Amino acid sequence: MTPVTVVWRYLQGRFVTSALTVVSVALGVSLVIASVLLTRGIKEGFIAGATDYNLIVGAKGSPTQLVLNVVFRMDAPTPNIPLSAYEDLRADPRVEAAVPVAMGDAYQGFRYVATSEAYFAPLPWRRHLPALATGRLFRSDAPERPDYEAVLGADAARGTGLKPEDRFYEGEEMAAYPLRVVGVLRPTGTADDRAIFISLASYWEMNEISRKAMIKPLTAILIRPKRLSDLTALHRGWNVGPDLQAALPSAILLNIFNLLGLVEDVLAVVLAVVAVVVGLYLFVTMYNATLERRREIATMRALGARRATVLGIVLLESCVIAGLGGLAGILGGHGVAALGASLLAARGGPVTHALALSALQPVTFGAVVALGALAGLLPAVLAYRTEVAENLAPL
Amino acid sequence: MRATATALALVLALAGLSIGPPARGEEIPRLTFAQLADSMRANLGVTQGIKAYNGREIEIQGFIIPAGPPDLSFFLLSRVSGTGNYCCELPSGQDETVYVYTARGVSLRYDPVRVYRIRGVFEAGHQVDRSYGVSFFRVRDARVEEAVGARIFKVGETKGP
Repeated sequence: MTPVTVVWRYLQGRFVTSALTVVSVALGVSLVIASVLLTRGIKEGFIAGATDYNLIVGAKGSPTQLVLNVVFRMDAPTPNIPLSAYEDLRADPRVEAAVPVAMGDAYQGFRYVATSEAYFAPLPWRRHLPALATGRLFRSDAPERPDYEAVLGADAARGTGLKPEDRFYEGEEMAAYPLRVVGVLRPTGTADDRAIFISLASYWEMNEISRKAMIKPLTAILIRPKRLSDLTALHRGWNVGPDLQAALPSAILLNIFNLLGLVEDVLAVVLAVVAVVVGLYLFVTMYNATLERRREIATMRALGARRATVLGIVLLESCVIAGLGGLAGILGGHGVAALGASLLAARGGPVTHALALSALQPVTFGAVVALGALAGLLPAVLAYRTEVAENLAPL
Repeated sequence: MRATATALALVLALAGLSIGPPARGEEIPRLTFAQLADSMRANLGVTQGIKAYNGREIEIQGFIIPAGPPDLSFFLLSRVSGTGNYCCELPSGQDETVYVYTARGVSLRYDPVRVYRIRGVFEAGHQVDRSYGVSFFRVRDARVEEAVGARIFKVGETKGP
C-alpha cells in the first residue's frame, strides 16, 4: 500500500470531516479570489470606460461628481452651465475639439444624453469611437425646430427593446415630445452603451425650464486641446472663475483608485485573518485525526513503515485537503466574481469580467497548498514521534 | 609566489571595480526643466546641446499631469503641479513639459502635489504623435518613483546645455 493509497483511505474514512474542511478552505479561498477579481475588474472597468477627452468643464462643485456623471453616467448631474461657455471654448485657438453634453432624465433607467454630432466624430486619437450597428445618427437640428430623434447605446437598445422607427416617451408630461429611434450603436464597453443620445435642440425643447425660460443649458463640455501642454493653462483658466470648473478625468480616476487602494489594504488584512482561521481549522482537523490514528500509525510502524513515511502521509493528507479546497475555492471565487460583476454591470457600474488566467490562480493555489503543509506540520511531527510500544498496547 | 598571488588578486579586484555595474544613479545624467526651457529656439527647434542626450537614459523630476489614460501608461511631466490651485506659479508651457511614456507594468500612487523622479530614454525635437499630438521633449520606457525632498529648478537656476 503506497502513501497515496493510505491518504485516500484516510480521507474516505473521515469523509464528513474531510469534506467540511475542504469546504471551509474553499470558502476562504473563494473569498480571496472573488475580492481580488472584483476590485481588479472595477479598476479595469474605470480604465476601459475612461473618456478620450483630456478636460471636462462643468459647474463649480465636486470634480469627482462631474467626471463620474458625465463620463460614467453615475451620481447626480452637476448644475447647469451656460451655452456661452461652449462658444468661448470653440473660439479658443488652443482647443482642438469641444463637445457639449447635457444630462437628462432616463427612460426605463437608461439616461438621456444630449449632445452634438461632434460626440461621434471619428478623430484619430479616440480609443472608443461610437459606431452605428444599425440606422443613422440624429440630425444636427436647429434649436427652434428639434427633430426628437434618438440614438441608443447597445445595452439601452437591448434593455428597452426599442429598434429604429420606434417612438417612445416616459411620463405623461413627455407625451407631447415622443422621441423616435433612428439608430443603435455597437457595444463599446463604456457607459455609452447604456445611454440614449438625443440632440441638444430636442433636449432644450423637452426641458420645461429651458423652454419657459428661453435658456439653453448644458451640463458639461468635453475638451481636447491642440497641444496637451496647454492642458494646465486651460485647467487653470477655467478654475479661477467663480462659476465654472475644469477637471482632468484621469486625475479624478487616479484619486478614486487611491481610495480603492485603501479598501484593498483593509481587504488584505481581512483576507489574512481569513487565511489564519482557515489554517487553524485545518490544523485542528489534522491534529485530531492524528490523535485518533495513533494506534493505526503504530501498527504501520510495526509493519515496517519508516518514521519519514508516516510524516509524509500526514503532510500529504493535509496538502490534499488544502489543494482540493484551493481548487474548489478558485472555481467558486470565479463564479462569485462573475455574478458580482454581472450585478454591478446591470446597475451601470464600470466593471470588466476580469476572469482571465493570470498569476493570481497559480499563486493562490500554491499558497493554499503551502498553508496546508504548514497546518499539517505539527500533526505530522506528532505522527513521526508516535511510539510503537505505547500505542500497540492492548485496549 | 605569495607576491604574485597578491598582485593577481589586486588586479582582479580592480578589474571587478571597473567592469561592475555603476552605483545607482551614478551614470544617469539629470536634466532640469530650466535646461529644457533654455534649449528651445524660436523656429520650433532645440539646441544641439540638449539633442546630445537623445537615445540616452536620463533622469528628470517634476509633477505628473495625468493627460493620458488613467493607467498612467502616458502622462505629462511638468515643472508646475497641474491640479493644485496655482497659488504660486502660472502653469508651464510646451518648453517645460515632458511627454512620458511609461514602461510596462509601472505602478505608482498618484499624488498631484508630489514630485516624481522619472528615468528613461530621452528624445528632444519636434514630433507629432497620433494619440498625443505635438511634443518637444519625450521620455520613453520610463520608470517612475517618488522623489522625496526633490527641488524643481526654474530657468536661471541651472546652467543650460
